[in-house]
Amino acid sequence: MTDDANAPRLARRVRLRADPARGGHVLLFPEGVLVLNESAAEVLALVDGARTLRRIADELAQRHGAPDPSVVLDDVRALLERLGARGFVEGVGAAP
Amino acid sequence: MTPPLALVAELTYRCPLRCGYCSNPTSWRDHADALAAADWSRVFAEAAALGVLHVHLSGGEPLLRADLESIVASARDAGLYVNLITSAWGLERARLERLVDAGVDHVQISVQDLDASAADVLAGVEVHARKLLACGWVREAGAALSLNAVLHRANIDQTAGFIDLAERVGAERLELANTQYHGSARVNREALMPTREQVARNADVAAEARVRLRGRCEVIWVMPDWFADLPSPCNDGWGRRFITVTPDGVALPCAGAQVFPDLARDRVLARPLREIWYEGRDFNRYRGTAWMREPCVSCARRDEDFGGCRCQAFALTGDGAEADPACAKSPQHALISAARLSGRAQPAPVVYRIDARRGR
Repeated sequence: MTDDANAPRLARRVRLRADPARGGHVLLFPEGVLVLNESAAEVLALVDGARTLRRIADELAQRHGAPDPSVVLDDVRALLERLGARGFVEGVGAAP
Repeated sequence: MTPPLALVAELTYRCPLRCGYCSNPTSWRDHADALAAADWSRVFAEAAALGVLHVHLSGGEPLLRADLESIVASARDAGLYVNLITSAWGLERARLERLVDAGVDHVQISVQDLDASAADVLAGVEVHARKLLACGWVREAGAALSLNAVLHRANIDQTAGFIDLAERVGAERLELANTQYHGSARVNREALMPTREQVARNADVAAEARVRLRGRCEVIWVMPDWFADLPSPCNDGWGRRFITVTPDGVALPCAGAQVFPDLARDRVLARPLREIWYEGRDFNRYRGTAWMREPCVSCARRDEDFGGCRCQAFALTGDGAEADPACAKSPQHALISAARLSGRAQPAPVVYRIDARRGR
C-alpha cells in the first residue's frame, strides 16, 4: 500500500520558502516560482522524506478536525501527484 | 508598483571566451569589478528583503572571481535561489562541488556548437570538452542543470542536435535562445542574423521537442523578436521584475539599459536598493505605461508586451520612448525588415566579442 510505504520528498532542485514581500509561500525552481495556496503550503511543510503520505494526511486531518481522514488523504495524494508530474515532488505514487 | 522577483548579479565582465554574440556592453573593459564579496553579500540581503527570490550569478564569467564560493554562500544565506550562469571554462570537479555545497541550486552551462572544434572556434578558446564534463559533475553533485545555446546563423540549424545533447547530458532545461542584438551582437548583427527560413524550420523542431520531452526536459525557444512582428515582453516590463547590478556596482532595470547615455546610474554602494527600485530615476524611466505614445499607448497589447524592448527602441531609433521597431505597428519597422535581409544563406563569418577600448 503506497500510502503507507511512500515518504514523499521535495526534489533537490526545488526549495520551499515563505515569501514575506508578497505573502504566503512559494516553491522555487530553476527560473521559476510556483505560488502556493495556504493548504498546499501546509501539505508541503510536512513533506520531508520521512513522513508517509498517510501520516501527512492524518496529521492534517487531526489538526483541522476533519471528520473523514480518507478525504484528506485523497486531496493530499492528488496534490502531490500533480506536483510529482512537474518534477517538484519525488517518492509519490507507485514508482519509488 | 510591485516588488522585484529576480536579481541578475553581473560579477565581472571579464571572460576567457570571445563569443561574437556577447550581450555585454562593448565598453566592458571600462567596468571594473568594483564590488567585493562583502558588498555582494549586502546587495543580496537588501534584494531579499525587497522581495527578490532568484539570483542569477552572471558575467562575463563568474568563475573568474576567486571569491565566488563566498559570494554563493551569502546568496544562499539571504534565502535566494542561486543560479550560476557559466561557460564552465577552467572549471574543475572539486570547485563545482564546493560551489554546490556553498549553495548553488542550478547551473546553466552555455554551449556554442555540437562539434567541439567548431564550438571552440565560435568561443575563441578551447572549452567545449570541459562543458560536457561539467554537465556530468553538475548532475552528480545534485544541482539542477540547464543548457543554453545562443542561436545565430552558423549554429541555428543544429537545433535538433542541441535537443539531443540536452537529453544525453540529463539537462532538465534547454534554452534555445536566439541572439538578442545588444552589445557585441549588435555590432556583429549582419554575420549573426539567420534567415527567415532557418528560424521557421528550427522553431518547428523546438516546438515538437517541447511536447515530446514534457516532464523530462523543458525546451525553451526564445523567439527572435526580429522575426515575430510582435515585440517580446522584454524583462516582463521595465522595472517590473528584474534588477541587474553591474560589475561596477550600478543597479539597472536590465543589462542592456547601459545603451542609454543619460542614466542616473544609481550605485548600490551609495544608495539602498529599495530606494533605487522604488524611487530611482532609471527604474521609473519606462515603468508602467505613462511614458508611452502612439502606437503603444492605444495598443491592446500594451499591458502584455509593455511596448517591447526599450533598449532596442533606443538603439535603433535614438529615442527610448518609441515603439520597439520589432513591432509591426512601429513606424520604424522597416529598419527590422531591412536587417532581416542581411541574413543570407551563406556561411557566416566568425566574429568575436568587441572591445571598444581597443577598437575591436
